Amino acid sequence: MWDNPSLRCLLAITFLHLLSLIYSQETGFPEAPENLKCITHDLNRMICSWDATSSANLGLTYKICYTNSEHFSLVCIETEGKRADIPVTVGSTNIRITTLNASGTSLATETFVLSEENVSLIPLTPQILNLSADFSTYTLYLKWNDSGSVFQYELDASWQIQILRKETLETVALMNYDSKLTGKDSILSWNWTSDIPLECTSYYVKIRCYINEPYFTGRKEWSEWSPIRTVPEKDTKPNSAMVFPQDKVVLVGSNVTFCCLYNEGESIKFMNYGSKSYPLLRLNKWSSAIKVQNVSASISSGTNVWCLLEPDGLEGTVLFVGYAPDTPQNLNCETRTFITITCSWNPGRATALYRQRQTKYILFERISKENVTCKVDELNKEHYCDFPVHANQKIYNFTLGASNPLGQAESSLLIDVNQRVHLETPVKFTVSTNSSTNAHLSWYIPGNFIQIRLLCQIEISNSNSERQLNVSMAGAENSNYRAWVDALHPYATYTFRVRCSASEHFWRWSKWSEEKKLTTLEAPPARGPAIWRERSPVGETLTVFWKPLLLSEANGIILSHEVSCYSREIMLKAHEVPVPLNSTEIKLGGNDCLISVVAKNRAGSSPPSRITSMDLPSDDVKTELAIAAGNGIYISWHSDPNVTCGYTLKWCISSGSEPCNVDWEMFPSNATDAVIKSALFQPGVRYNFSLYGCKHNGYQLLQNITGYMKELPPKVAPNFTVEETSSDSILVKWEDIPVEDCQGFLKGYILYFAKGEKGSSKTSFTDEENKTEKNITDLTKKSLRILDLQGKTSYRLGLRAYTVGGIGPSKDLYVVTKENSVGLIIAILIPVAVAVVLGVVTSILCYQKREWIKETFYPDIPNPENSKALQFQKNICEISKLRQQLLPASSLRPEPCRVPPLLFGNGGNTALKTLEMNPCTPNSVEVVETQSTVLKIEDTEIISPVADSELPEDGSDPETGSHVVVSYCPPIIEEEISSPPIDEPVGSSQVIYIDIQSMYQPQVNPEEEPEINFVTTAGYKPQMQLPINAMKMESHSPTEEDLDKTAGYRPQANTNVWKLDSPDSPISIQSNNENGSFGSPCSINSRQFLIPPKDYEDSPTHNNTGWSFTNFFQNKPND
Amino acid sequence: MASAEQSPVTLQHHNLCSRVILLARKIRSDVASLLESYVERQGLDRTISLDSVDGVPVAAMEQGGELTMAEQLGANLQAYRAFQALLGEVLEEQRSHLTPLDTDFHASIQAVLLQVAALAYQLEELLALLGHSRPAWEAAGPEDPARRSLFEMKLRGLKVLQELAHWTVRSVRDLRQVAKQPGLSARGG
Repeated sequence: MWDNPSLRCLLAITFLHLLSLIYSQETGFPEAPENLKCITHDLNRMICSWDATSSANLGLTYKICYTNSEHFSLVCIETEGKRADIPVTVGSTNIRITTLNASGTSLATETFVLSEENVSLIPLTPQILNLSADFSTYTLYLKWNDSGSVFQYELDASWQIQILRKETLETVALMNYDSKLTGKDSILSWNWTSDIPLECTSYYVKIRCYINEPYFTGRKEWSEWSPIRTVPEKDTKPNSAMVFPQDKVVLVGSNVTFCCLYNEGESIKFMNYGSKSYPLLRLNKWSSAIKVQNVSASISSGTNVWCLLEPDGLEGTVLFVGYAPDTPQNLNCETRTFITITCSWNPGRATALYRQRQTKYILFERISKENVTCKVDELNKEHYCDFPVHANQKIYNFTLGASNPLGQAESSLLIDVNQRVHLETPVKFTVSTNSSTNAHLSWYIPGNFIQIRLLCQIEISNSNSERQLNVSMAGAENSNYRAWVDALHPYATYTFRVRCSASEHFWRWSKWSEEKKLTTLEAPPARGPAIWRERSPVGETLTVFWKPLLLSEANGIILSHEVSCYSREIMLKAHEVPVPLNSTEIKLGGNDCLISVVAKNRAGSSPPSRITSMDLPSDDVKTELAIAAGNGIYISWHSDPNVTCGYTLKWCISSGSEPCNVDWEMFPSNATDAVIKSALFQPGVRYNFSLYGCKHNGYQLLQNITGYMKELPPKVAPNFTVEETSSDSILVKWEDIPVEDCQGFLKGYILYFAKGEKGSSKTSFTDEENKTEKNITDLTKKSLRILDLQGKTSYRLGLRAYTVGGIGPSKDLYVVTKENSVGLIIAILIPVAVAVVLGVVTSILCYQKREWIKETFYPDIPNPENSKALQFQKNICEISKLRQQLLPASSLRPEPCRVPPLLFGNGGNTALKTLEMNPCTPNSVEVVETQSTVLKIEDTEIISPVADSELPEDGSDPETGSHVVVSYCPPIIEEEISSPPIDEPVGSSQVIYIDIQSMYQPQVNPEEEPEINFVTTAGYKPQMQLPINAMKMESHSPTEEDLDKTAGYRPQANTNVWKLDSPDSPISIQSNNENGSFGSPCSINSRQFLIPPKDYEDSPTHNNTGWSFTNFFQNKPND
Repeated sequence: MASAEQSPVTLQHHNLCSRVILLARKIRSDVASLLESYVERQGLDRTISLDSVDGVPVAAMEQGGELTMAEQLGANLQAYRAFQALLGEVLEEQRSHLTPLDTDFHASIQAVLLQVAALAYQLEELLALLGHSRPAWEAAGPEDPARRSLFEMKLRGLKVLQELAHWTVRSVRDLRQVAKQPGLSARGG
């Protein structure tokens, strides 16, 4: 649009024209008016003002001419001032202002075109008519005149109200208030609530206005602020310091500001809310405040707020913090007397406010428009209100209003009073009777119930029963009400009470009246007693028993029983038995009769109970067992078709030394079983019952029954003894347990036995693990033989009896079986026989193989002197010298080598391995010490190194790494140095050439070498000699040693070498390990053992023939 | 003969003094426990300054002139008469404004009030026994209780109880002096 050049040109021209209209043409005269401004307060007239220079010309006047919009005529007015009051014109108007001098001459003229847009609408400055304060609510009330009459029509007006406080006029609030001007003056009011007490500081208020004229196109501006108004001071301004607010009530959770006002010369030290000090906010020179946020409910005496002043002063206030009243709950209105309607309710949440601050309740009835103030019992927390019942009003519309300083609430209820009858508790309740079955009752209920019927409930109770009887009756005014009840039981004590309600519209029962007791009068007993009779064994007398009647049957106190005997309707005899006897004896005199028993009380006699005295004979009466039912005894019987008038089960319970009490129960003819219960029955006690059948001509005993109410384990253990004992069996005998100790029907015995000696720690067989049980269910059996026992062994025996109820205690015995002599004999004879057989077999075998044995063990030995192979004298001599060096000087003395020894070295000089039979004259070696010494040296070599170590005492075989097995081969040459006689003394020396071969290469230390060499030089020795010496070194007798020493050559088959000791012998073990190979026969031409060492290693086990009686008896042959 | 005639009176005087002392000690004990419950129920602090509270008899002796026995007893009597009235006010304020539901607390104040009345009565008896005239009842204070703020009521009650406790101590001391007075005759010292 703006792109159009012609349009832009037109707008520019218009703008310039408008400017020319507003602003006067510059005329060049200083008195010319300019800057015309117009404002209106009422849209009717406007005040226009302008600027003009007065210069030195005094007495200037202005002539304003304008066109009157009503008459369209030019109106001119003159004024001395530079302002004029002219009417507001619609649209635009020309105003011509001419400046005139004192003589009326025009000095300058300006014409203004004034449009509405250039006029400002500024309302008149409002005036505050009234400013008041409610100090209790911190509220300021403001009133002012809206000056609505200024405008002739309705207008929207806005008001701005400014609240200022303190001397410094701090703005607290700037509030807007809108109103409508009605064309008339109106008084407007407005209020404002301060957050702090108004007493705390000064408050100021001012107001201004704004008119919103929608059709006015000029500027609309706020009016000037009204003159400031100060909040008036409280009438009772304190002379001394004070804390505000005073005793105020606020809601829980509120934020409260407290201020402390003090006087000149005082200052505040601190200010507390409760026990807590808060930071002070200085309000002015004489006032400080604290702000407490979210206050909690106070105690009943309120929360203290105080300020401590200097130099000396304490001021305070109390704040009550609570809740607004809750809506009354469970509002209930009902009448008790038809005089007043009582409304009650639950106040709901507690307000924590009391007395003057507590909730007040007002009950308002909308129909009658009446209200009543309600009572509140704070102590008992009862809230109720009584509203009067109006004569012709049935419907009541109640509104219960609750209010306290913090708020209000209400609850409503609409009722029909006739349907809300809750009667008072019946009083003056009486009960009386003059019969055995009826009673009269009377009670009083206050109130006027003429318009309704009452329903009363009578409760009749005694120890056995309780029933309620409802009675409807017409209502009356403050009257007694009566009722009577029947069907009561004679001579029974009843408790009566009554309550009532409205009959037609039941609402609630009244409370129960007090209870009254009444005992009805006596009546004759309702029925005859239950009776039974027993004939004496001879049959001369008859004992009649009867049971006392139940209280409900006796209808009074039974005084006596009359027992009569009738025969053919003729009473033969009768007598009266006083209570408490319940049996009597009648002499029959051989005649049977019909017995009649009648119970009597003060009111009369019962119907008679009859029973015949006749007993029918019975034969072959069996005794059956009853079944314990736990709470009774279950008895069954076979139905007898001849029984026409029932069965009677009779029993007798004895207690201590007193005679037993006969008891019985009767059953109809079709009954075949029953559970008999009695409070006298005890568990574990046997009871005997007799079943009688009632036949047309008398009673007949049908069977006897015995049983228990509950079976228990036997009380005692059966007595038992050991009748006979053998080496493998025991015969046990026992006795029956007495019936009273059985506590049940015996089912059997359990015999326990186990090895055990008296005094062992085990106290019962339950602890015994290896026990053996024998269950004896044959009750006729009274003995038992226990077989397969061990001889000469102690056994522990126990015997227990058991019933269905459990196993009874045990009685224990200890028995030792006899010794088994046959076994002992067998144990001796068998080894002997075996040994003999073995000996014989060995002898036979040896005999048959004697040639082989001879070849093996006794070969022909060639004469070494005839051999030229032993020509190595020089070497032998050297060895002899070496030996002399090694042997201590004290034991050896060098001798000339007399006999050239034959040496087979195995670890010494390699030169010795060559057997050169060089003739030499060996130096003789003279052994100075005894033979035993020399032997010991040789033994050392054989035993070493194991022989030096300590052998285990138990003879076990230590497997050591230095285990050495020395093999021995028969010598090639044996030559005695001298030819001593066989009986040469032990101390004579000899040189023996031996060849020693170890099966395993021994670990020989260098230090041991000389010893080996020494042994090597020991010369030949028969191969069987060394083992003997080595094995029996300690126990060897000197005689044997001598024999061995002097024996010279011996065959290899020396049986002594093969002798095997007991495995328990440590020497034997040593020989097994080290010298086993010495027992091996060896070929004289071979260095190999004839019997491998393995056999010898195994031999001790196989050849163990050790035997002991203990092992025999324990049947452990390997042991 | 003279001593024989005076003995019953002296004995009665001693007995009466003993009873007064005993009662004063009892009041002190009860007031001590009452003070505990009082400050608890009013939310106050025992250390709060009560100087600004006036109208309560102060037990502190004025410095300077010595009082005669009759003056001492008279001052005691006047104080307890004042306490009787003050305790009544305190009780009513508690019932009406501060602790309306706390009947046990009211009963405790009531019990002390009765004991104070009894003590005043016994002091009157003692004065009469000693031949002194009973001081007249003083008019009630000019202050209108209705104009008191609740906080002032609390402070006033506290001060009443505190000063009552102090007075019982002073009374015990005064009565011991009276009991020890040498040559006390039926006419009194």
